[in-house]
Amino acid sequence: MKKVLMGNHAASYAAMRCKVKVVAAYPITPQTQIVEELSEMCADGRLDAKFLKVESEHSALASIIAASSAGVRTFTATSANGLALMHELLHWAAGARLPIVMVNVNRAMAPGWSIWSDQTDSLSQRDTGWIQVYAEDNQEVFDSVVQAFKLAEQVRLPVMVCYDAFFLSHTYEPVDIPDVGLVDKFLPPYDPEIYLNPSDPRSFNALVMPDLYLEMRYKMQVAMDKSKDVAREVGREFGEVFGRSYDLVEAVDCDDAETVLITTSTTSSPGRVIVKKLREQGRKVGLLKLRFFRPFPNEDICRVLAGKKRAVVIDRNISFGKSGIWADEIRGALTLIDDRPDVYCYITGLGGRDITPQVIEEIIADAESKEKPESLFYWKGLKP
Amino acid sequence: MAEHKPIVFSGAGEMPELVVSVSTMLWNKTGSWRYLKPAYLDSVPPCNEACPAGNDVEGFIRLIDEGKIAEAWRLLKQENPLPAVTGRVCFHPCEQACNRCHLDKPTAIQALERYAADHAPAEEVKALRPKSGKSVAVIGAGPAGLAAAYHLTRMGHQVEIFDALPKAGGLLRVGIPAYRLPDDVLDQEIAAIESMGVKIHLDAKVGQDVPFAKMLDFDAVFVATGVHANRALDIPGEDAQGVVPGLALLTKVALGQPVEVGMRVAVIGGGNSAVDAARTALRLGAETTVYYRRTQVEMPAFEEEVADAEIEGVKMEMLVAPVRILTEEGKVSGIEMRKMELGDPDESGRRRPVPVAGSEFIVPCDMVVPAIGEVGDLSFLPEDVKREWGKIKIDDFGLTNHPGVFAGGDIASAQQNVARAIGDGKRGAIAIDRFLHGETVEAIGGRVIIGQRGSVSVAQYLKEKGAHAKNIAAEKVIAFENLNMWHFEPLEREPMPRLGLEQRRATFAEINLGLNAEQAYAAAERCFHCGVCTMCDNCFMFCPDVAISHRTDGGYGYDIDFDYCKGCGICVKECPRSAMKMEEE
Repeated sequence: MKKVLMGNHAASYAAMRCKVKVVAAYPITPQTQIVEELSEMCADGRLDAKFLKVESEHSALASIIAASSAGVRTFTATSANGLALMHELLHWAAGARLPIVMVNVNRAMAPGWSIWSDQTDSLSQRDTGWIQVYAEDNQEVFDSVVQAFKLAEQVRLPVMVCYDAFFLSHTYEPVDIPDVGLVDKFLPPYDPEIYLNPSDPRSFNALVMPDLYLEMRYKMQVAMDKSKDVAREVGREFGEVFGRSYDLVEAVDCDDAETVLITTSTTSSPGRVIVKKLREQGRKVGLLKLRFFRPFPNEDICRVLAGKKRAVVIDRNISFGKSGIWADEIRGALTLIDDRPDVYCYITGLGGRDITPQVIEEIIADAESKEKPESLFYWKGLKP
Repeated sequence: MAEHKPIVFSGAGEMPELVVSVSTMLWNKTGSWRYLKPAYLDSVPPCNEACPAGNDVEGFIRLIDEGKIAEAWRLLKQENPLPAVTGRVCFHPCEQACNRCHLDKPTAIQALERYAADHAPAEEVKALRPKSGKSVAVIGAGPAGLAAAYHLTRMGHQVEIFDALPKAGGLLRVGIPAYRLPDDVLDQEIAAIESMGVKIHLDAKVGQDVPFAKMLDFDAVFVATGVHANRALDIPGEDAQGVVPGLALLTKVALGQPVEVGMRVAVIGGGNSAVDAARTALRLGAETTVYYRRTQVEMPAFEEEVADAEIEGVKMEMLVAPVRILTEEGKVSGIEMRKMELGDPDESGRRRPVPVAGSEFIVPCDMVVPAIGEVGDLSFLPEDVKREWGKIKIDDFGLTNHPGVFAGGDIASAQQNVARAIGDGKRGAIAIDRFLHGETVEAIGGRVIIGQRGSVSVAQYLKEKGAHAKNIAAEKVIAFENLNMWHFEPLEREPMPRLGLEQRRATFAEINLGLNAEQAYAAAERCFHCGVCTMCDNCFMFCPDVAISHRTDGGYGYDIDFDYCKGCGICVKECPRSAMKMEEE
């Protein structure tokens, strides 16, 4: 059934459809409506879940970790500084191999205090062991959350679904909310073998000596690797059940492209518009939209970019002292092949500044005007 | 215990997917890490300690909460023979001591006591001990005498009560008006005591109708004659027609004797008698004013009674005292009053009223009701029985200096209230029982004392089982600071349903209507059960070692598996009501 929903509510509906059993979250702009809606769903019985009011994001994730350890499907949501507050528990949730699904609305880190879109928050949690997915529109928000549960529960790793503040969180778009029976068909109940069970008491997350810790971490990495295939399979199954299929990346018009514009999140939308426009002008430009940040889709990226002249990456984030994070990761992945493009990184849009079609067009023109990238990244739109 | 062999992994392939033990960990007796251990212990809730009648307050509330009304009544009757009375007229120090006061409003203990008394099916109370062959004379059929007679009968002794009035009950009958304590309620409570075999002789004033010497024919005597003589105002005109002492007015009304009440009544005094007399006069059609020499803050009358009096239309004038009563043709026509102001505190700790010179004024009235206190008549007692401050001198358990003669109630105690009188009756019964067996009170030690304020438990004395057999004579009394407020939420205390104001003014019908079943349950739910385990399961849920479990024999309480209890103390911390403590290993 199609509903006109803001991105945040699309996330709420997804959690409701997936019949989560415990929700614990702390409010933060621009995530608040996710949990507000879930609290109403719990109150009026649309969702049969325990809703825990907690006093901080750290407590929210701590509660969710405990609930998930007790063997139930759990959900939480946060943003920016809230996500940062959870940091040590992000490592914990992954290390404890808990299939927690969390929505992170991408918002700029403070100070300066900003509630607007910026990806530095989730990208800087890169190494915590969470799977990270980025959504382009509200439908994808809903779809990604539903797929996230299936993926998480199969590989036993937590999944973070990210999307842009205000551009998606507060913007209304038509979203198809499938019937509950259909979601049940796609997503079976969560039924772990091992969980906190007084009748089968075990010791969880205890001391691991140097002789075995590396092996446990290896197993996590194996799961991460495996999750690429699992994610592809889940995305394909999703298409069979709901009519919309997903992959780790989406390539548009890249086959004979010389320049490939690489975008994530909402930037992909104006990206598509420009690529279409430039193609109509006869320019050989393609678009590569990245959905997954972790596991990083090395193979897909290398496959699409092999033999291309240049890759133009738009980064709505910065890793201080280095460059834009997506570009950096792409460069790393490309070292696996010889015939690799030059990577141009443009950092722009920080703190919610608009990345308009015109900005994108100018970025592509700028990259195409250069022989080689002279630095790891360029600022776009900086007022010096 | 089987010897445990360490499991050795040769590589990642053999290891579990997550960091979890793959075999039983029960070989690891984490209890060996302990140096402190938890224990369940019952402590005294402050309500139990504060009840002068020695009720197991927490216990009977818990039984009401469990829907066991008859058992709640039986528990009350283990200590207090008159729950229908105290459930109506007591000044409920239990509610003032209730720890819930610090969260919102105290638990409605009195209303619950009344509920149990009013709704439990009538049952015979049997004696607990076989007949001893001993007899006891009780002088006075008021609350102290009735309580003593009740418990002495339960202890197997034969009791006869001698009372001066034509009806039993003492001040319960003649001092407390029917709108607070209906006649039939009092009749029922007394009838229940009589049906146990207690003989009550009425119109039998000792020292007048019956010589005191007859009392000494019994194996012991309990003197509980109370205080009925009016304290005089000591002002000119006090002997005029139309001056009726407060207690005399109340007694006439209570005994159905004809009473003439003027049109404008002036009541002098600030105690319960004054307020009761005023409210009685109001109901008989008079315009009534209470005159008190201090302020409302110092009035000894129960605050609720004063508030009710004002609502009904009794006027109150503070800081005035009578100088002389004015008469016309021998009948009261007015009082000359003088204004007072408060000076330094006197021996009672209250500020002394000091006359304001030249402030006299006349109050027209046609009836004066002096109610400034009552005194006891000790003329019937042998000279050798020691007196002190106008009362019989007794020790903590009611022994006088005359062996075999005991006393209690208003005639012997400085605290004059119904619950105290019942407590005195119980202490007297215990002391007399010891005496009749040739033993002393000292020998039982502190076993029967509840908490630190001197109330006694006959159930403890007779070694009866209480609700869940908690140790009600424990020493530690639980204060608000001991409770874990995280586990309690504010809950409104529902007001007592009451008669409409017009009906109250016009009749002597009972004002408080009592709680219904739903209200009683809601009221009982508000009790914290301080210091007593209610099996709320917090300790069971919070124990990180799953070392606390429900008793396998289905009995009340929990088992702690000390093989695994690490002594972390979380159970003690999370017990909402401080029914657990940590002790050294």
